[in-house]
Amino acid sequence: MSVLARSVGNAFRNKVRTAAVVAVLAVAIGLALAMLVANQAVTGKVAELNASVGTVLTVNPAGGQGFEGGGEPLTSAQAVTAAAVPNVSSVVGTKALRLRNAAEIAAQAASGRTGQGGPGGQSATSVTTSLRAAIDAGTLGNRNQGTTGTSGSTAQAAPAFSLPVTATGIGAEIDADGKALQLTKGTGLGNYTGASTGALLGTTLAEKNGLSVGSTFTIQDKTFTVKGLFDAGTAFGNNALYVTLPTAQTLAALPGELSTMIVTVNSMENVDAAKTALQAALGSSKADVTQGQRNLQTAVSSLDSVKNISFIAFVAALGTAGLIILLIMVMLVRERRREIGVLKAIGAPNRTIGLQFVLEALVLVALGSVVGAAVASLASGSIASALISSSGSTGAATGRRGFPGGPGGAFGGASQLLTSVTASASPGVIATGIAAVFGVAIIGALVPALLTARIRPIEVLRGE
Amino acid sequence: MIEVKNLVRTFKSGDRTIKPVNDVSFELERGTLASIVGKSGSGKSTLLSLLGALDKPTSGDVVVNGVSLAGMPDGKLTNYRRRDIGFVFQQFNLIPNLSALDNVMLPMEFAGVRKAARAERARQLLAQVQLDPDKHVRRINRLSGGEQQRVAIARALANEPKLILADEPTGNLDEQTGEHIIDLLSTLSRDHNTTILVVTHDRALANKTDRRFRLQQGRLTEETVRPGATAAVTGSAPASPDGSGLTGPDLSGPDLTSPAVRTA
Repeated sequence: MSVLARSVGNAFRNKVRTAAVVAVLAVAIGLALAMLVANQAVTGKVAELNASVGTVLTVNPAGGQGFEGGGEPLTSAQAVTAAAVPNVSSVVGTKALRLRNAAEIAAQAASGRTGQGGPGGQSATSVTTSLRAAIDAGTLGNRNQGTTGTSGSTAQAAPAFSLPVTATGIGAEIDADGKALQLTKGTGLGNYTGASTGALLGTTLAEKNGLSVGSTFTIQDKTFTVKGLFDAGTAFGNNALYVTLPTAQTLAALPGELSTMIVTVNSMENVDAAKTALQAALGSSKADVTQGQRNLQTAVSSLDSVKNISFIAFVAALGTAGLIILLIMVMLVRERRREIGVLKAIGAPNRTIGLQFVLEALVLVALGSVVGAAVASLASGSIASALISSSGSTGAATGRRGFPGGPGGAFGGASQLLTSVTASASPGVIATGIAAVFGVAIIGALVPALLTARIRPIEVLRGE
Repeated sequence: MIEVKNLVRTFKSGDRTIKPVNDVSFELERGTLASIVGKSGSGKSTLLSLLGALDKPTSGDVVVNGVSLAGMPDGKLTNYRRRDIGFVFQQFNLIPNLSALDNVMLPMEFAGVRKAARAERARQLLAQVQLDPDKHVRRINRLSGGEQQRVAIARALANEPKLILADEPTGNLDEQTGEHIIDLLSTLSRDHNTTILVVTHDRALANKTDRRFRLQQGRLTEETVRPGATAAVTGSAPASPDGSGLTGPDLSGPDLTSPAVRTA
C-alpha cells in the first residue's frame, strides 16, 4: 500500500467525520469559487469597457448628431487630420443611412404619408431596400415620423408607418459605438475600406426577412449578399446592417462624407489630452468631440467596487478553507499521535509521515472542491447578480437610446452595463480557483505535517 | 555485536528522580537469543526502548556493530530502526485501519522494497507465524489478540533485522502458538544469525533463551540457564511466588543465578 493509498484510506477512516469536513470545506470552497467567478466576470467587463468605450472618442459634425441637427458633414480629410493627433491609435469613419422598404414607401405615398430622412440624414430622399424593419413602428414610431410633425396622435385610417432600417458604412469591423462586432454566424466583410456587395445583418433583421448567410437582398436596386450575422444585444441594434464605408458613401451619393468618426486613444490616461487636441485640430465650429467614458465612469466605478468586494471575499473564503484544513489536520495529528509514534518506531521517515498527512488533506480538499465547484456553478450567477445589483443600485447612471452617434446609444446605457455582466463558471476560472484552494490547503496541511516531525516515538509508546 | 555501556535512564516525577535503567552494561553476540525478566515496572520496556533507539539514554551508550547510537541524529536513528531493528510491542501497535498484510508490508515500504516483493514476503511471514491466509487481508481491528500478536511478530521480521526486540511476544498467544513463536525466534537466531532480546514473564520462553537477564530496580544481572532445561515449554501458571516476575513451572532448577555478568 503506497503513501497515497494509505492517505486515501485514512481520509475515509471515519465516514461521518469525513462527510462533515467535506461539507464545511465545500461551502468555503464553493464561496471562494463563486467570488472568483464574479470577480473574473466583472474584471473582464471592466477591461472590455476600458479597452473599447473607455478609450473611444466620438466625433460628430458640429451641431449635428446622427440624423438630427444641422451643420456641415464630416469629411475623409478630417479623418486624416484626426489620425495625426497625438495618442490617437485609430480613426474609423462611419456613414449612416436610413433604408426604407420600397413597397412600404409606395403604400405610404399613396396614402399621403411620407417618411423623413434620407441618405445623409438631412436629405428627404429615401434609400430603398427590399428589407423590412424588424421593429414595428408602434406609438413612438408613428409619433416621431408622422407627416404632420406634431404630436403624431392624429387618428387616420392610413397604413401605419414602418420604421427605417439603419445601415451604417464602417471602415473597420466595429459597430457605430466603436465596439467589436459580435458575429454569431458567417464572416466579416474583409476589407472595410473598399467597395463591396457584402453586408452584415442584425440577427432580428435577418430573421424578419428570412435571410441567412449567403442570402441576398437589395439596396437601391443593387444586390447585396449577407456575409454574416451579428448580435448587438438590443432590439434596436439588431434592426441594422453594416456595409463597407465606401459602399455606404456610394449609396448615399456622398463620397468622402462621414456621419461620425470613431477615434480610439492609445490609453485611458491619454483620453482627456487626446480629446482636447482633437477638438483643437478639427475646430469647434466643425466638429463636436464627445467622450463616452464620462458617462460610464459611474458604472465602471460600481463594477470596480464589485470587483474589489468579490476579490476580498474570495481571499477570505480561501483563507477559511485553509484554516479549516489546518484545524482538521491538527486535530487528526493529535488523535493519531500513537500511530505516528509507531510509524516512526518501525522506521518511517518524517517526510513520509508528513506527506501522508498532506495527501490526506488534499483528498479532503479534492472532495470539497468537487462539491464546491458544483455549488459555485449553480450559485455564482445569482451571487454575482446580487453583488452587482446591490452595488449598482447606488451608482448606475441612466441613459436613453438614440441614433448611431447620438447622445444616447451605448454611452447612455450605463445601468445596462451592470446587468450585462454575465458570471458563468467557466472551466478555466474554476480550475484557477481550485488550484488556489489546493495551494492554500497544502500550506494549511504543512503545519500539522511538520508537527508530526516533533513527535518522538517513545513519548507515545511509553504509555504501554 | 551489541555492546551496552553504563546505560542510565532517569525520569523526573515531581521532586523524585526515578532510574528505571541504572548503569546497565552487557554484550550480546550476533545470533544470541536472550531474555530479560523482572517485575512489572522494573524498567524492562525502558531498556528495550533504549536499545531500539526509541528513547535516548541519560548517560551511557549503545554500540551496534561498532557504531555508537549516542549523539546520532534523529534521521540516522530512524534509518537504524528501519534497517536493523524489529520491534514486537506489548500492545502490538498495529495500524488499525490497515489489513494484516499491509501492516507487515509497512516497514518494507519505508525501506524502499518494491510492492510485489514486499507483498510476497509479507504473505510468507504471515504464513510463518501461522496466520490463516483468509485473514491476511482482514483489517487488524477484526483480528483476535493472538492473531494481532502474530501480525506484530511478522512485521518485526519484515526487513530481516539484525536485532529483534520483543516485549512479551507470547503474552497473548495460546500454548501451541506460543511454542511455535518461540521455535520461530530460536530458528531465526540460530539460522539467520539474528540477535533477539525478549522481555517476558513466560518462564518457558525465558528458559529457552541462550542468556537470561533479570532486571531489578534498574540493575541488570544475568542468570545462567541450566543445560537441558529448554526442552519443555508449558503454558501459563500462577504468578511467580519467588518475586522473579516469571510465571509457569520453574524449569531452571536450582537458582544458579550468578552475580551480574556485567552489572554495576
